[in-house]
Amino acid sequence: AGHPPVFRWVRVLPEVFEPAVNAALEGSGYDVAFDNQFGGAIAKVGEELETVGEGLAEIGTIQALFDPAKLAIQNVTYYTPFVTADPRAIQELMGKLHLEAEGMQQAYDDENIVYLGAPTVIDDYLLMTNFPVNSMADLEGRRIAAPGAAVNWLSGTGAVGVSGNLTTYYNEIQTGVYDGVLVFASAALPGKLYEVAPYITKLGLGAQFAGVIGANKDWYDGLPEEVQQALRTGADAAADWYMADLEAFVDVAFTKMAEAGATITEASPTMRAEWATNMDNVARTWAAQLDGQGLPATAMLKTYMDGMRAAGATPLRDWDKE
Amino acid sequence: MTPFEIGLIALAAMGVLVLMGLWVPIALMVWSFGGVWAIRGNATLAGKMLALSANDTLQSYYFGVVPLFVLMGFVVSESGMGRDAYDVANTVFRRIRGGLGLGTVGANAIFAAITGISIASAAVFTRIAVPQMLRHGYTARFAVGVVAGSSVLGMLIPPSLLLILYGVITEQSIGHLFLAGVGPGLLLACVFGIGVVLAATFLPTRVQPGRMDGDEIAGLPPREMLIKGLPIALLIVFVLGGIYGGWFTPVEAGAMGAIGALVIGFAKRSLSLAGLWRILVETGLVTAAVCFLIIAAQMYGKMLAFSGIPAGFGELAAHANLGLMGLMILYIAIVVVMGMILDSSSIMLILVPIMLPVLAPMNVDLIWFGIVTVIAIEIGLLTPPFGLSVYVIKSTLDDPTITLGDIFAGAFPFALMMLLVLALVIAFPVIATGLL
Amino acid sequence: MILASRILDGVTQGLNIVGSALIVGLMAIIGADVIGRGVFGTPLPGVPEMVSLSIVAIVFLQIPAAMRGGRLTRSDAVIDRLAAARPGLTRWIETAFDLTAIFIIWVIVSSTWPLFERSWRRGDFVGAIGDFTAPTWPVKFIIMLGCSVMILQFAARILRRFLSDGEQPA
Ligand code: NA
Ligand code: NA
Repeated sequence: AGHPPVFRWVRVLPEVFEPAVNAALEGSGYDVAFDNQFGGAIAKVGEELETVGEGLAEIGTIQALFDPAKLAIQNVTYYTPFVTADPRAIQELMGKLHLEAEGMQQAYDDENIVYLGAPTVIDDYLLMTNFPVNSMADLEGRRIAAPGAAVNWLSGTGAVGVSGNLTTYYNEIQTGVYDGVLVFASAALPGKLYEVAPYITKLGLGAQFAGVIGANKDWYDGLPEEVQQALRTGADAAADWYMADLEAFVDVAFTKMAEAGATITEASPTMRAEWATNMDNVARTWAAQLDGQGLPATAMLKTYMDGMRAAGATPLRDWDKE
Repeated sequence: MTPFEIGLIALAAMGVLVLMGLWVPIALMVWSFGGVWAIRGNATLAGKMLALSANDTLQSYYFGVVPLFVLMGFVVSESGMGRDAYDVANTVFRRIRGGLGLGTVGANAIFAAITGISIASAAVFTRIAVPQMLRHGYTARFAVGVVAGSSVLGMLIPPSLLLILYGVITEQSIGHLFLAGVGPGLLLACVFGIGVVLAATFLPTRVQPGRMDGDEIAGLPPREMLIKGLPIALLIVFVLGGIYGGWFTPVEAGAMGAIGALVIGFAKRSLSLAGLWRILVETGLVTAAVCFLIIAAQMYGKMLAFSGIPAGFGELAAHANLGLMGLMILYIAIVVVMGMILDSSSIMLILVPIMLPVLAPMNVDLIWFGIVTVIAIEIGLLTPPFGLSVYVIKSTLDDPTITLGDIFAGAFPFALMMLLVLALVIAFPVIATGLL
Repeated sequence: MILASRILDGVTQGLNIVGSALIVGLMAIIGADVIGRGVFGTPLPGVPEMVSLSIVAIVFLQIPAAMRGGRLTRSDAVIDRLAAARPGLTRWIETAFDLTAIFIIWVIVSSTWPLFERSWRRGDFVGAIGDFTAPTWPVKFIIMLGCSVMILQFAARILRRFLSDGEQPA
């Protein structure tokens, strides 16, 4: 794992995944000794996929978010904002799609990785600004930073989308390089972003799929059946713990940010509708480009949106049908 | 053999080869390859580790601006702004022993406010300060020592990429870390300044044997001071104003500073296109040499991580049951030892995550701990055998008469002064936390 | 032989020039991004990606020239003293060092090849579709190119050492 173990999706490995694996192996005569290398010692953030695929590490947190080329169709959520603010819904659907949808397993296979489970999800993206936001007009000409594909969400809003990076948001808002950011509560609290951007607007931009726990394929294929099964059981335990911990923390984050003087508002339905309507349909661009590379992206987009609607979500835009 | 023993052998063997004159990056790469091969029993895997590191180590926005910070420094030097600035400083400080050393420390403290990386400070001041100090009769060893020593200010006075990294690892506010770095950074600059004056007063033959008395040097007339001082002052105001006025980020400041220096240089008519091309090529050579070394150091860091040696040391500190003071002393000792052989970010990535759970029940202020960690890690920039600031100065100097040994020797007193400041920050945490 | 050596130095110098031009390019795109964002409200897309790919390219384009110019970091105190006392032995030690360098850099080239091949075949990119994307294979190609030229430069050092027959110690 490239991130240090303070992060939930890393901490889950030693605290939940590893004990669960060995608990599942109890009495089988097998035992897995884990040698933890977290926080960038052998793989920095974004290098995990290659490090595990090449066999330098056996198990890792595989972050689709940082590998939009190799795990392309896994990134569908970042191209479909305003679908659901509920991380649990995304975790459940993405977990299901990993097992069923065309092309998902293939993407890992191509990288010499086996998907063990535990889809990790980021909680709902918020707009945090150093000025009050009541309507779309307030965003006109403002510089808003967003990570990676999320910059596309700012198209058509009147705001200037700048690609940014979580680690430096605080300083750059403080000095005025940006006027605001798109960020999620579970990162905004520890990063103390509410100090420099105290106006928090909940727009339901959406929770996002981030990554999974994966294993090196050659290593995994050489394991006895019982151990393979135990690794999957461990990943399931990790998924449950992760989601419970995330949900509890998001509640704490909002409470603490409010206590610290942040103004938290729900955007009006008009504003949300206006934002969503004015956006370019990047999902189409994304799907068309990946289809051109022979990936089933249009199919994935449809499966994902259908799955979400079936699960009771009410997307503001039907990205797949336009 | 256990991975731990393999790691230790790789360490010792590398020291011998480097001493014999094998290029440092080549030695680091050979032992990373050999070490991973021995630990994992697979040569292909070891090769893959090298290839992935070559591709990934530098691939970040932060490293991307290294050549631009270096270019800015070289433009300042080529256009004569650096020389002019030292003429002004020499007039101001001419009655103080070691005055130009003092000026270099001060200039580094100002430059630290516009750069986030110590190696940029080291490269820039090697070009600007060393020739000027030699011209004014200082010894080579002292000149390079001051440059090496004061380069560490770049990482302590904000902006600082190492503090950003620490903030990410520990989920602390980077804004607060930056504020906390100001006090210790200024204190360190003062201690360096006092050290320079004391050395010049009590060991004049080691500092400035050719020194004339202040009255014998003609000071510049005020008009001349203004003409010589204005361009560099303009550049500093431009870069600092840009960062703190919200026009550009500290990372972008490298490019904007280089552009600003070029504009001023051409406006002064002291920079020609031929001269610009020459420093561009020179910038490339220095950047390549330094970054190749950083790639090699990262490979070596990964090999050591596989061997478990650094984690072993970390666990030792974590489970020693010493109480806070004892723990801090042991922790600093381990950081300093690791600083001899590893680069700054590797040490931080390996040790801090091990320490966090140990510190949690002790109610330690993690902002303060971050500052302590950064100072301790930065000592490693100056200590042999792997001292990055020293290597940068050596590659930038291009002067075979000044050896690596000279630079390490010149930097040594500054490493001691850093230890002193570290002790003060531990004894009086308010130095770091006072501004919060 | 002399011709081959001249061609090699010419190629080295050529890569060096491309690298220097890239540094100017870096400065220009960051400058355009800052001014575009601050003055016109239109930042350049993809600047972080371009910068982070360029730095790797710059380093590997210029490392052969840095090596040729004697800029690779080394501690020369012991070897210089030895060269004065035992010039014959020193030439063999230097040759052993050159061979070591050739070996380890060859490991990097040959291990980068599969990464390059896959990146080329699959069209791997950095960035985000819809905003900005850049392919990753050119940088992997430049790593192999720069390292290969550096290998030839190390080999040339050995040849020069033995052809000049002791007149030129290193
Ligand atoms: Na700084
Ligand atoms: Na060191």
